[in-house]
Amino acid sequence: MSVVILDKLCKRYGTSQYAVDHVDLHIRDGEFMVLLGPSGCGKSTTLRMVAGLETISAGTLSIDGRVVNNVAAKDRDIAMVFQSYALYPHMSVGENLAFGLRRRKVNAAEIERRVKEAADILGLGALLARKPSALSGGQRQRVALGRAMVREPMVFLFDEPLSNLDAALRVNTRNELIKQHHRLGSTMIYVTHDQVEAMTMGTRICVMNGGKVAQIGAPLEVYWEPADTFVARFLGSPPMNLFTAPLRGGPDGFLLDEGPFHAPLIRWSAAALAPYADRKITFGVRAEDLHLDPAAAGEGLRGRIRGKAFAIEPLGAETLVVLETPLGECTARLPRNVTVRPGDEVDLAFAASAAYLFDVETGRAIPGERTAQGALAAARGLQ
Amino acid sequence: MTSTTALPDDIKSPGSVADPRRTSWPVLVVFLVPALAIYVGLTAYPAFRTIYDSFFTIEGLDATFVGLDNYRALMSDETFWVAVRNTFVWSFIAPILDVSTGLLLALALYAGVPFARFLRVAWFTPVLLSYVVVAILWMWIYNYDWGILNELLRVVGLGALAQSWLGDPNLALGALIVTHAWKWAGFNMVVCLAAIHSLPREVLEAADLDNCGWGAKLRHVIVPMLRPTLLNLYILAFIGKMKIFDLVWIMTGGGPLWATETVSTYVYKRAFNWNTFDLGYPSAIATVWFGVVCAAVIILNRVLASKDRLEY
Amino acid sequence: MALFSMLGARDPGATPLPRLFARGGLALVIGAYTIYTLGPFLWLASMSVRTTGEISLDHYAWPSPFHWEQFRIAWVDSNFATYFWNSTLVVVGAVAVVTLVGAAAAHALARYRFKGNRLIYAVLFSSIIFPPQITLISLYQILVDYNLYNSLLGLTLVYISLQLPLTVYLLEGFFARIPQDLFDAAKMDGYGDIEIFRRIVLPIGMPAIATTLILNFIQLWNEFLFAVVLITDPDKRTLPIGIRAFMGDHFQDIGMIAAGVMISVVPVILAYIFFSEKLIRGMTAGAVK
Repeated sequence: MSVVILDKLCKRYGTSQYAVDHVDLHIRDGEFMVLLGPSGCGKSTTLRMVAGLETISAGTLSIDGRVVNNVAAKDRDIAMVFQSYALYPHMSVGENLAFGLRRRKVNAAEIERRVKEAADILGLGALLARKPSALSGGQRQRVALGRAMVREPMVFLFDEPLSNLDAALRVNTRNELIKQHHRLGSTMIYVTHDQVEAMTMGTRICVMNGGKVAQIGAPLEVYWEPADTFVARFLGSPPMNLFTAPLRGGPDGFLLDEGPFHAPLIRWSAAALAPYADRKITFGVRAEDLHLDPAAAGEGLRGRIRGKAFAIEPLGAETLVVLETPLGECTARLPRNVTVRPGDEVDLAFAASAAYLFDVETGRAIPGERTAQGALAAARGLQ
Repeated sequence: MTSTTALPDDIKSPGSVADPRRTSWPVLVVFLVPALAIYVGLTAYPAFRTIYDSFFTIEGLDATFVGLDNYRALMSDETFWVAVRNTFVWSFIAPILDVSTGLLLALALYAGVPFARFLRVAWFTPVLLSYVVVAILWMWIYNYDWGILNELLRVVGLGALAQSWLGDPNLALGALIVTHAWKWAGFNMVVCLAAIHSLPREVLEAADLDNCGWGAKLRHVIVPMLRPTLLNLYILAFIGKMKIFDLVWIMTGGGPLWATETVSTYVYKRAFNWNTFDLGYPSAIATVWFGVVCAAVIILNRVLASKDRLEY
Repeated sequence: MALFSMLGARDPGATPLPRLFARGGLALVIGAYTIYTLGPFLWLASMSVRTTGEISLDHYAWPSPFHWEQFRIAWVDSNFATYFWNSTLVVVGAVAVVTLVGAAAAHALARYRFKGNRLIYAVLFSSIIFPPQITLISLYQILVDYNLYNSLLGLTLVYISLQLPLTVYLLEGFFARIPQDLFDAAKMDGYGDIEIFRRIVLPIGMPAIATTLILNFIQLWNEFLFAVVLITDPDKRTLPIGIRAFMGDHFQDIGMIAAGVMISVVPVILAYIFFSEKLIRGMTAGAVK
């Protein structure tokens, strides 16, 4: 069992603001936990505290039931893959792989066995005698991974390990990592700012912002049920459209109705929305939920928004259309065959069930009935 | 997330286990103390002692406090002022010769002449020779009877111009400056060349597109962009020349008639060469000069360098 | 634009140059300057294998025959062997110590955050601009006080202090560029601070350390001022002051002086031949802004 528990973990330098602010995170055995966020959000600092490379200012960190706040990095039974790989440039690949084991007084036969095994799995057999400077970026990456694997640690840590690779190699290596995670079944903690990596690799994602945890959940759950406007905009490309409009009461319940924008709110009970009556509220809808053809938005109640198209971005498989509306810009992901041209007035429709609401002041999502996809994703995440 | 263990909010953990950028005091002591001990014992302490000594007359083991007498005597010491004048002439003018020669040589190599690698190595060679070797060589080159300079003049029929280059008070300082430039031009060349190669190629290509010829490109693009490097080299050469001793001491000993006396040679003479046996007075000269060099470096850095840091 | 040629096509950094200029004047100037820098040196070399008698007949004749015994005479009878070994002892000792001490300090300053880090760096580095006289007179007194005057050990200590600022400056710059990840990885592998220095910093920093080694070696091999003040005993002279003294005593013996000078130059030239790139890089480090 390699359960990692972060309990109100904090990091602050001197008396300045918290770099990591009371982070609670319970990482299950064998889980692939991704820490996701923009640069400076505290995700790397959190990882380095788990690794033992930063002191913990407050809170407790336990691995496998043992509190390790004051345990040195080398004694935590953890291996880490660094962004710059951190291979020892004066040692050969084989020496790099064996090095951490030699330091730990593992016997020679066992070292040889593990190095050989890792080299076979990662296809490094032919490179063992080379120096890191003679390797390509992808090969160095694999050596760095191998160096962690031979240690057979309780927990693997990854600090943006793919960010130095070019796009094609990144996809390959990503799949390789997923494969290794399935094979080893070890607990892994992975830091990245890339939402695609987070969505494809993570068992669960922990989105961080400003040193705090914004949301923890399965990738699609976080995508479909964002906890606040930060998560809503950080995940998804293009980011979720957000508008601010006053909430009005109507004969069929609450709705938003402001000029060319109309949205019935069916996911929320009257009780949930009552505190916001006649106040401004932030409304969100994803670009892929906007449709030119009202029928495509489904059978149920629909909302609509009209604006003037000012940018058309044909991406091949689809076309992004950016509208100028009185409430702000709005991006729609439309089929590739749309004939909209800049300057055209465009009417877009969306299913009322695809709407999101957030508190204007706090940015927190106003919880309603789950979206269909969100419910599905949550169910999957629990397995 | 719910926390599984209820713990007080702020548990302070000792800072020794983590953060590779920090370490304990004993480790820092092991790394830094040898260097600091050498610095304190053999640089800082002697420097302070020289400043302290400048208020005394020191003959052997007897030190007599004389207050500012040494400094007063210095103000009216004509030889000192001649030495200052010579040193300033050398410090301000000679670097121009060094740096411009270096720049021209670097441009020649940059222009893509054949054997560039060999030439770079050849031109750099004098930098490696000691002042003693350079001095001896150039004393021979300047020799009146058989030095190559006079021989060449005689060969081309200008024998009348043959001079005792180091013996004539009007020529000696110039002759030394040329010798010094011979030694250092290669250094400036290599630095300029490295700087030229680190210029962004796009800018030079943009200049080509702007229809700049070689000359225009040099004047309007390359030299302005090299300004920070050139100024830096000037300051380096300036500092070097404020300290100049070896070459002068061996070639002319400061003569003839103080014509090449520098502050350094004068300090040396007063401290170790004349039989005045007083270390207080030369300490005063050294102290004054220490202040002058530090001030000059700071002023030059401020005036020349700061506003000329180009971003590219 | 037709005037532009691609003379420098072999060199990726080279640019076109007007053909006429390149062919004519430039070649002449470059040739002349090469003779100007190398000529005196070759002249010196030629005189070192000729006897003084031959030299006074014609200072510019080709050596015939080559009097290689000049070097033996200089080495054995004119004490150059003593000077050479004194220089070797002092310089090798000083360079070894200053590199180790300087590397340790440079590592601490480049790697660790602690109060006063930049202050210590500034203090160590600033002494690079000190005019030597400010320490010269007192060092003379101090070495006399501690019975180190006129001793090779005393001179070695002074040489260590002379080269310390440059060594720290060059190595700090290099060590600071070693990525922090490497130290983090070493820490996770259980390295202590001293081990990190010995097993990571020193091997990885070898190129920079080699550069400072050669640079310090050449600068100290050529040092004159402190040697002439701190050494008076003829048996303890280093090469620069030995040559200078020999020249004072035998002003006319040009052949022998030339042979002695060649003996002093050979180690430097050898170092230059083997490490010219490293050396040039070291000497120019920091000058390019």
